[in-house]
Amino acid sequence: MIFRRRLLAVFALTVLVSVVAVAWSISSFTRRAFEKANEERSAALVAQFRHEFNRRGEEVAHHVDTIAASEGTTRMALALIHGSPDYGAYLNEAKTIAENHQLDFLEFIDNQGTIISSAQWPAKFGYKETATLVSTIPKDAFLKQEELPDGAALGLFAVREVSLGEKPLFVVGGRRIDKDFLASLELPTGMRAMFYQNLGAGFSPQFLIDASSSVPQADRIAPIIQQLQQQPRETTTLVHWSSNPADDETIDGIPLTGRDNQLLGVLLIGNSRRSYVELRQRIRSAALLCGGGGILLAILLSGWAAGRVTRPIEQLARAARDVASGNWNTQVPVSSSDEIGELAESFNGMTRELLAQREHLVQAERVAAWRELARRLAHELKNPLFPLQLTVENLLRARQQSPQQFEEIFQESSSTLLAEIANLKAIISHFSEFSRMPQPQFQQIQLNDVVQNVARLFQAQLRAPERAPIECKLELTEPMDSIAADIDLLHRALSNLVLNAMDAMPQGGTLTLRTRRDGGLSYVEVSDTGTGLTPEECERLFTPYYTSKPHGTGLGLAIVQSVISDHGGRISVRSESGRGTTFMIELPRNLDKLQKPGQPLGVPARSD
Amino acid sequence: MRLTGFPLFVAISLFCALGGSAAARPPYGGTLHVEMRAAPTSLDPADASQPDWSGYRNLSSLMFDTLVSLDARGKPEPALATSWKAESGDQRWQFFLRRGVTFQDGAPVTPDVVAASLRRTNPSWKVFSEGEAVVIERDSPAPNLPLELSLARNAIARREGGKLSGTGPFAISQWNPGKKLSLVARDDYWGGRAFLDAIEIELGKSFGEQMISFDLGKTQLIEVAPEQAHRAIAEGRHIRSSAPIELIALVFGRDPQSPEDARQRQALALSIDRDLLSTVVLQGGGEPAGGLLPNWMTGYAFLFPTSIDLAAARQVRSEIPHTTSWTLGYDPADPTARVIAERIVLNARDAGMGMQITTASSADLRIVRLPLISIDPQIALNELASELGLPQAKSAFASTDDLYAAENKLLQSQRLIPLLHLRTANGMSNTVRNWRATRDGSWRMPNVWLAAEKP
Repeated sequence: MIFRRRLLAVFALTVLVSVVAVAWSISSFTRRAFEKANEERSAALVAQFRHEFNRRGEEVAHHVDTIAASEGTTRMALALIHGSPDYGAYLNEAKTIAENHQLDFLEFIDNQGTIISSAQWPAKFGYKETATLVSTIPKDAFLKQEELPDGAALGLFAVREVSLGEKPLFVVGGRRIDKDFLASLELPTGMRAMFYQNLGAGFSPQFLIDASSSVPQADRIAPIIQQLQQQPRETTTLVHWSSNPADDETIDGIPLTGRDNQLLGVLLIGNSRRSYVELRQRIRSAALLCGGGGILLAILLSGWAAGRVTRPIEQLARAARDVASGNWNTQVPVSSSDEIGELAESFNGMTRELLAQREHLVQAERVAAWRELARRLAHELKNPLFPLQLTVENLLRARQQSPQQFEEIFQESSSTLLAEIANLKAIISHFSEFSRMPQPQFQQIQLNDVVQNVARLFQAQLRAPERAPIECKLELTEPMDSIAADIDLLHRALSNLVLNAMDAMPQGGTLTLRTRRDGGLSYVEVSDTGTGLTPEECERLFTPYYTSKPHGTGLGLAIVQSVISDHGGRISVRSESGRGTTFMIELPRNLDKLQKPGQPLGVPARSD
Repeated sequence: MRLTGFPLFVAISLFCALGGSAAARPPYGGTLHVEMRAAPTSLDPADASQPDWSGYRNLSSLMFDTLVSLDARGKPEPALATSWKAESGDQRWQFFLRRGVTFQDGAPVTPDVVAASLRRTNPSWKVFSEGEAVVIERDSPAPNLPLELSLARNAIARREGGKLSGTGPFAISQWNPGKKLSLVARDDYWGGRAFLDAIEIELGKSFGEQMISFDLGKTQLIEVAPEQAHRAIAEGRHIRSSAPIELIALVFGRDPQSPEDARQRQALALSIDRDLLSTVVLQGGGEPAGGLLPNWMTGYAFLFPTSIDLAAARQVRSEIPHTTSWTLGYDPADPTARVIAERIVLNARDAGMGMQITTASSADLRIVRLPLISIDPQIALNELASELGLPQAKSAFASTDDLYAAENKLLQSQRLIPLLHLRTANGMSNTVRNWRATRDGSWRMPNVWLAAEKP
């Protein structure tokens, strides 16, 4: 399962990374494309503005030309030659002519710079206007700031000179650059044009207009204007109108200068980023949707694929666990011819080989066991048989050679024969006992009690005067969990271990009985300080009929192992040559094996 | 000046018999088409909500009569009242009504009706009938009461069932408020029937529209802007102008708030070039005004300086540590007022004072046209003061010196700066004959007759 989850995670992550990468790529591409389009649109609008600017300039120049060539202007010029002008006669002259020519500004000025008639400020007659008149009269229209009664305005102006004599008359006409001018620009959707009249230092919101009216939140434009006031160069700035990115606007500032390069106004071209932001949001939404769907699909597909991939592996793992648990007769189906199939084939081959080898080994061990049994039986039986033979031969010899001593010898020999026969019976009893090892009868016991009983049983033998003293130490953990076990078998197993320990310490020593618990398991250790065992001895220690002692049957530890195994436990040995040996018994609690009322003995209780 | 029907007929017959041409004989009949700039929504003389415009008295005089009228020299003469007498030190006045006069609806003019009409116009007066007379009692001596009664607002009107009726030479036949007024001559007018049968008056026509209609022959009598009169005459039109009868002034919204404020007002008054305003902006349609009343009315107006004194203005300005940048308001419907305002801004700037023009009503000072509603200087001055919210003289002026002192006191208040006195001008076609306007431009319509159009 873990492998499958990992596989799923890898698949999902791969899809997610792919979607994110694609979305990011598209988003980046879109942004670059939008910015490029934005630049192109701004450039187009600037070009349009310049075109419109030039066109209007040409119109203004044309109208001023027409006015300068008109009969009324000629009459005015002639009147100037003949003396001071009658301002009253011309009070509304400029205004009327300007209206006829659709000019916002028109002034007639004499050679002294005195205004004869003004359309934009009719009351300004008689006042001087020298700013417009310079030594060289420009042919083309130019930008000029015009003072008006209610403020100032920016306009496109043209100047023409009417010379009929020594006193020329100047005609100065122009059109205002205002919201009407901005409204005349054909703006693409999402773009707008604003205009700032630079009538002084700093930024004044009332001088900023667009095609409709004044611009709300005009202070956001202030940095652009201030930058251009310091350095009149085209600039592009991103303006955040609100916390909503869709309201952002890229604003190009184009400085407009007059004849003396003074900054007179700033054309501001706003390009809304709404379409870009909305497109980006759509891409993100689509990416999110695709990503989510892709991940879901990836999970499903990868689950299916991982299932296909991991199912044989899981079968292999399951089979391996079976093999580990001893069920070597395990085969896995081979469903493919790929590496997994090859692995399954190999596994099946391995289990087959293992089975064959185990069979072979079992047979070999069986033969070896029979041989060992035969050897042991021969050995064990030979030992008493030999005295029996000698005793019988001795009896025969005594009857033939010393009949007078025969009775005595017969008595002695009879005792010997009986003893040896008893010995033979004991040997046979041992073997019989081993073969008839009973099933444990589980009951709830305290392990410490068993250990203490065993210690108490051997107390006298340990301190017997005919042998070197052995000190018995009890290291018992209190409290121990109660366990289910056959107290007699357990007592017998522990007794065998104690006997073994005593045999291992002919010179005396210390016998330690130790209990402890760890997790759900209980442990009993029996340690001696004897001569210890070699590793080879440790390996074969629990083999039936194997003994390292001269008179052992080799069944003691085998019986111990059998008892412990019947309790679901394990026994192991740890020995160090010259320092002693420790047997460690590990016992489960086995509470599920407690006998229920009415249940036959020897049958483990089933838990439903 | 007027002739009743029969004597006129006799006089004309005699004139013809003595060798006059038959073409000069005034014929009865015809409809005079008139256009006017104002667009009143009410004709009631007592309706104080209507703008007090100079043409109103001419319009009113067609339909209504006053108890007293003024002659060419401004002296009271009988109208609906044939005689009057003052009692109790000019506090109580008795006016004896002309007999046999009826309103256009046929109702007789009685002292009760006249008293009711006057009470409606002047709620503070105590007016009642006493026999054949109408008695007016004032809280204080009112020696000029006959002059006051000659004002158009004191015209006698009868209001019955929401219908307005006057005693004037013409009766209302159709009234479309603010747009058109149709009048027909009354045969039973106590002063004799007018020569004209009817008058059609189109209201709310601008000067330009009137001039176009006039040139197209659609109308025979129009108002002409004072500044256009000179050119109109030069272009061959028949224009009649009055003596200056309207004041254009700068009126401040409040009294001077500090000595600096007063000095700045003084500097502004000195900086204004009234001569150029008169000759250039108004094209001779007005006169520079230093005082409130024109010189023809008082004889002393020349004592008030009108010339620009820029040096003095700058001197006064220099004595003010910090000047206020005023806003100068003007009527956006009055192009002449805008030009005047612009010029004043320039003049003020020459003197070192900033000023901004505006059409907002909250301006610091405004250009205001103030019609002089009476040719009597005392009445005219008091009415001006009333219009401006300034204190009026408590008693009649015994002499011209008193009048001068009263006018000078008003000027010293610095609530206003006189700029110009304007004339009124009327253009009339050649078919309009026997036009006899008074000096203040008042019409004498009953004497007017229409000649036949020349082929």
